[in-house]
Amino acid sequence: MNFEELKDIIKNDLEKIQDSSQLREFSSVYLGKKGKIRNLFLELKDISLEQRKSLGKEINEFAALIQTEAQNLEKTLKEKEQERKQKLNKLDLDFPGEKIETGHLHPLSTIRREIEQIFQLMGFAVVEGPEIEDEWHNFDSLNIPEGHPARDALSLGKTLYLETNEILRSHTSAAQTRFMKQINPPIRIVIPGRTYRSDKVDASHEVNFYQIEGLMIDENVSVANLKAILQRFLKEFFREDVKIRLRPSYFPFTEPSFEIDMSCAVCNGRGCGACKKSGWVEILGGGIVHPKVIENGGLNPNKYKGLAFGMSIDRLTMMKYKINDIRWFHSGNLKFLKQF
Amino acid sequence: MNVSYNWLKTFFAKPLPQPQKLADILTLHSFENESLIKKDNDYILGLDVLPDRAGDCLSHLGIAQECSAILNLKLSEPKIIIKEEKKIKAKDLLQVEIKNKKDCRRYTARVLLDVKIKPSPKWIQEKLIACGLSPINNVVDATNYVMLEMGQPLHAFDYENISHKKIIVRRATAKEKLVSLSGLEYKLNEEILVIADASKPLALAGIKGGQNAEINQNTKTIVLESANFNPKLISQTARKINLRTDASIRFEQNLDPNLTQKAINRVAMLIQESSQAKIAQGIIDIYPEKTLPKKITLDFEKLNNVLGLEIQPSQAIAILKSLNIKILQKTIKKLIVEIPTFRQDILIAENLIEEIGRINGYEKITPKLPCDFLAPVKRNNDLFWQNQAKDVLKELGYVEIYNYSFISEKEKDIFQAQAGKIKNPVSSDFEYLRPSLVFQLLANAKENLKTFKQFKIFELNKVFLKEKNKIKEIRKITGLIINAEENPQVIFSKVRGEINYLLNKLGCDKINYLKDSNEIFWDKQNTLSLVSKNKNLGFFGQISPEFAENFGIKEKIFVFDFDFEKLQSCCSEEKTFEPISFHPPALRDISGLLNENISLKEIVESLSQSIKEIEKPSLKIKTEIADIYKNKSLINKKSVTINIKLQHLEKTLSSEEINKVVNHIIKNLSQKLGWEERK
Repeated sequence: MNFEELKDIIKNDLEKIQDSSQLREFSSVYLGKKGKIRNLFLELKDISLEQRKSLGKEINEFAALIQTEAQNLEKTLKEKEQERKQKLNKLDLDFPGEKIETGHLHPLSTIRREIEQIFQLMGFAVVEGPEIEDEWHNFDSLNIPEGHPARDALSLGKTLYLETNEILRSHTSAAQTRFMKQINPPIRIVIPGRTYRSDKVDASHEVNFYQIEGLMIDENVSVANLKAILQRFLKEFFREDVKIRLRPSYFPFTEPSFEIDMSCAVCNGRGCGACKKSGWVEILGGGIVHPKVIENGGLNPNKYKGLAFGMSIDRLTMMKYKINDIRWFHSGNLKFLKQF
Repeated sequence: MNVSYNWLKTFFAKPLPQPQKLADILTLHSFENESLIKKDNDYILGLDVLPDRAGDCLSHLGIAQECSAILNLKLSEPKIIIKEEKKIKAKDLLQVEIKNKKDCRRYTARVLLDVKIKPSPKWIQEKLIACGLSPINNVVDATNYVMLEMGQPLHAFDYENISHKKIIVRRATAKEKLVSLSGLEYKLNEEILVIADASKPLALAGIKGGQNAEINQNTKTIVLESANFNPKLISQTARKINLRTDASIRFEQNLDPNLTQKAINRVAMLIQESSQAKIAQGIIDIYPEKTLPKKITLDFEKLNNVLGLEIQPSQAIAILKSLNIKILQKTIKKLIVEIPTFRQDILIAENLIEEIGRINGYEKITPKLPCDFLAPVKRNNDLFWQNQAKDVLKELGYVEIYNYSFISEKEKDIFQAQAGKIKNPVSSDFEYLRPSLVFQLLANAKENLKTFKQFKIFELNKVFLKEKNKIKEIRKITGLIINAEENPQVIFSKVRGEINYLLNKLGCDKINYLKDSNEIFWDKQNTLSLVSKNKNLGFFGQISPEFAENFGIKEKIFVFDFDFEKLQSCCSEEKTFEPISFHPPALRDISGLLNENISLKEIVESLSQSIKEIEKPSLKIKTEIADIYKNKSLINKKSVTINIKLQHLEKTLSSEEINKVVNHIIKNLSQKLGWEERK
């Protein structure tokens, strides 16, 4: 085959190349060390030196030209392929996210943990008392003796009695003296748990509800401490700079006793429907532990003082998630539970 | 208690703050004001008087005393002036007897003659209406007026209807009855204290009068009663007969026995003013044990320590004096004070500290965190494991449920369960304590199937087991799984895997599954019991389809029900790193035929036995049952495939070494279980 013929074939072949595999084949057939262009030099042996020089030069130039063209073509082909691949990889970004089914903790579990955690960080251990109690722990130990009007109000109307004459605890305070006997002062505990009242069930009353009791006993404990602990707790829990105020109240097991109000989070204390225009929301009760209760816990009331407080976990949960009806908690309704 | 602002004003020469301001002040220092209502030219405060202050503050005078102490205003009480008939002696007209001085601490009576029954003067009527009472006549209104003014409940009897002119304070008998002023008949008994004459009960002592000696239009002579009863007795009676009155709520708390005389004179004065009645000379006063003022010692250091405040002794003294507490003795360190008898709630130094704290104002106490030790808080392991278990189940897609602690008699019967009974249930739905968490989860499932086709729910809470005469509370963890669109065998496998995962995450290993179940609701052929360390932790399996259908559920239901306390005792947080080999593992599958009676457990045991015999610290062997299938061509047999994975820590295993292990496993399977190797 002569040079001119080959030139045409090569040019022709080059134009037909569609993808990089064809290009690779083209290169190996024509351009390699054993390629057809190189082979042309073998045929130069038989011609004159003069001719050999000029033709050799021509072949070299041609080889360089094809080499460059092949390289350019390779680049273009790569780009084209890249483009094609990218097109294939393109996602439809308008596709919606898939709905993920996961498990859920009950909102009361979540809030209870949160409360426990804040108190633990403040140095309070979490302990649990029994749900079946005796009258002594639920009433007498807390300075609510037989015949005390508070005892009558609780025991005759509000407390559930079992056939064994035991009772279902009407408040978590029932465990106070149990732990006074178990732990050496200083005592710092919170007692969360399920409590029982014989109440008619409605949007804000339940037969089963949840309380957390706080108890701190030491040689020097004051109202100022109670105020500080509760203010810190509420600030952490609501993640807001809440204000609190103490109002006189009456519990047989604390003296002095208080209701603790928190500045209304809805209106920032300006007064709204949620706080009955007062700017304050009643959030918990507390006080300085009555010396009789300290004594019933087996401690010397002349040496030890205590502070105690109690609050409703249900209420805090309802406030936090704006749940309007306490009955949701025991509804077992997955449409409710899957929201948390 | 409804308190009239205008009435309060009459006790003071100086002006009181505006009604809203006064209500706010009382809220912060005394009692919460729950409502403030404008009524004609008056304002009515709705004060929530605390139970321990019912003795002195369910009265305008009591509230005025609070205002006087908080606002430092001088209070003046109304003057009591009465004109007695010297010739007529009360003791000649009436005898009073108290059967038991524990029931009635004091009985004070007066006799008024020539009483004209007519409407009260307008100013009395106005005050009664303001406080929510309806005027009746000048006698009844006067007793109500004085109750609202001073807090002492009083009663008036028609003298003509008192047989033998004798009043006896005694317990009723079971045969007696009394028709109250409201016309309701009460059956009496020995637990109820009555005011009686020589023949019959006239009134439920301290609670309500009866029709027997009711004041009527023709009444001429009246007996006024101003008494003090045993608070406990009145409280319990009022609740037992479900009749709580203005009188009983005052007597329930410690009303001052010394108040009766002042109050009876005040009533006599009002009736005399309104009807020119004659007052017989003398008061009949049975008062066996006089209530005397108490003395209390108050230590200044304790006062400041408890409140966390620096109060000067002079300031404390001023507050105590404003509350009519007398200072008997004063030193640098302490005070000895005398408590007026109208403050029966003040018994110990802590009560005085409260008085000083609240009058001074709790807002003056600066919050102060306790600054002492910071010993680490001890972890509560019960809660730790409960939280772990809940989190694992949540991870596995379970939704946590809280159900009531109660079930109905019907539910108890459906499940044929023993359950502790509540003596005074809220309703028939809440008659028994739940002995299992399963019942309510099934009810939850039924309800949720209306909306969802598949779900996994669980509860971790207390159940109550009745054993003989005792009721024991234990914690259980119970889950329920429904997937209407999945093959039951697949669900079974998944749930079994989830339980394995849960137990593994709780560090509770070496669990055995046994074929065994007891409660009525299980499908016995499809239920396993879980055993760890010889403790039966509970059951896992399918609810009997028949039982479920009766319950109203057609779908297949899987349940696990474990004793959490036992489970917790098997939990562990320990974990040890297992060395990882960088040499390639050798994988071999073996397949064979086994008699279909051979259980999974037996296969697993044989494999464990083989591994135990040939495993070395450097050579790890793992086996897994990959597949079990039965078909018609395999008569009484099943085909089993087992994956074997071998890995050496230090070298690549040769085929010789691999075959040795595989052959050992096959040898054990064939010798013990009759394994026929399929090639």
